[in-house]
Amino acid sequence: MNRDFVYLDYAATTPADPRVIDAMQSCMGAGGTFANPASVHIAGRKSAAIVADARQKVATLLGTEPGRLIWTSGATESNNLAIRGAAMARANRGKHLISMPTEHKAVADTFRALAREGFDVTWVRPDEYGVLDIDELAAAIREDTQLVSVMHVNNETGAIQDIRAIGDLCRARDVLFHTDAAQSAGKLELDLNDLPVDLLSLTGHKFYGPQGVGVLYIADRPHCNVLPIMFGGGQEKRIRPGTLPAHLIAGLGTAATLAFAEHDQDLRHVSALGNRMWAGIADIEGLQRNGPAEGGYPGILNVGIADIEGESLMLAMEPVCVASGSACNSTSGEPSYVLRALGRSDMEAQSAVRFSFGRMASEGDIDIAIERYRFAVDHCRSISPVS
Amino acid sequence: MPANDPYNEEVRRCFETPVHAGDVEGEYPEVLVADVSESANGSRLVVSAGVEDGIVAEIRFRAFGCPHLVAAAELVCSELENGPLERLAAIGTNGLMERLAVPVGKTGRLFLVEDALRLLHRQAVCAE
Repeated sequence: MNRDFVYLDYAATTPADPRVIDAMQSCMGAGGTFANPASVHIAGRKSAAIVADARQKVATLLGTEPGRLIWTSGATESNNLAIRGAAMARANRGKHLISMPTEHKAVADTFRALAREGFDVTWVRPDEYGVLDIDELAAAIREDTQLVSVMHVNNETGAIQDIRAIGDLCRARDVLFHTDAAQSAGKLELDLNDLPVDLLSLTGHKFYGPQGVGVLYIADRPHCNVLPIMFGGGQEKRIRPGTLPAHLIAGLGTAATLAFAEHDQDLRHVSALGNRMWAGIADIEGLQRNGPAEGGYPGILNVGIADIEGESLMLAMEPVCVASGSACNSTSGEPSYVLRALGRSDMEAQSAVRFSFGRMASEGDIDIAIERYRFAVDHCRSISPVS
Repeated sequence: MPANDPYNEEVRRCFETPVHAGDVEGEYPEVLVADVSESANGSRLVVSAGVEDGIVAEIRFRAFGCPHLVAAAELVCSELENGPLERLAAIGTNGLMERLAVPVGKTGRLFLVEDALRLLHRQAVCAE
């Protein structure tokens, strides 16, 4: 494959698997299964069959029934729908909500918006590795608490939360539990017939599916429902209106089948790449690992060096594509709030680099990344008055 | 490079090959040092100059900051070396902003360069 960059930013988005692209192409163009799945004519019914097939494939991946899944445009919409929809549906029972400051912005900003509308939000901070203390969560739950939202795998650090323990606690206290599984779906085993999860968000483009399509899972339990946040046609049980994109859904279904079938192989592959990367840079003076050294998702490695300026580090690392905790490389203009919540200083957070690994990355890519990261650190230090 | 590259060729050249990065190594009658910083983003610039007979015989910098700051420091050092001392006070940010296509939001970092050079010049004047 000829590329002028080395891509190690799989936690941001993954390239679509060629088999996913094939599935999508079969839906496109006049000769494809392109019709509106809601149409009753034969072309529409063919598209509806594609959608039903994909829904079954995602249900198999998640260990649930296809009827529990709502198609969305991605994890951001799924998170908004789950959190706002559940908060509104249960507002007459109470207005207290709980989440963590290390959540993705799609979750955190939804809670902040609800707080401006009169909801009371409690933020439970994680430990220095980004992991939630279940006792702290238990202490935060009140009589009027309606919803807890805790992500499964953190997108910056790879920290994994114990969603079984959180779900058990929430069920015991009659509180809904939502998890943002954007970083874990298709990568870690999820069996929703067994896990005590009420609402779960995922997106296709984090596990080799297309961008622009996601899923919200809603458990079949009493008082577990969401109100719509958009209005229009009656699609998706009137919870999420809009014409279903058959080609994207077909792609997501295929990605789900591949993830289900190749889960062990994928996990072994990213673990090997993550270990290789860490072994190649761990001896750098001043290097700090952000997130758990063990027990986290092995496809994410976040490191920082406080005396290195993040933006210069990123430029010196080219053509390796990674994510940065630097303000200048983010849309927020601030160093990573996730790392700040773990107790990292601004200087530590701004120097952070997140390497994330995936199916198409190779050992050769890792070796280039090791060489470029070491070069970049040396280059920045050779210029710096701090070192 | 894509059209939306935040760094122009001059920035890339100066950042990748900062030949004036370091400390003054020669022996001069006068070695001036200016150390300036911006607390908002942690940027810091140290410029040292070896002066002899009113000439900046050697000038070096060390920078903790973004590529634009590094490039600006390298660029001014390359232009000031072997030139008259008075030029230290003449370099401003406007020309640098344009040549390096610095985003407006980073103007403050470019002022570090101007501040450091003016500080060096004041030290030189006071020493006379």
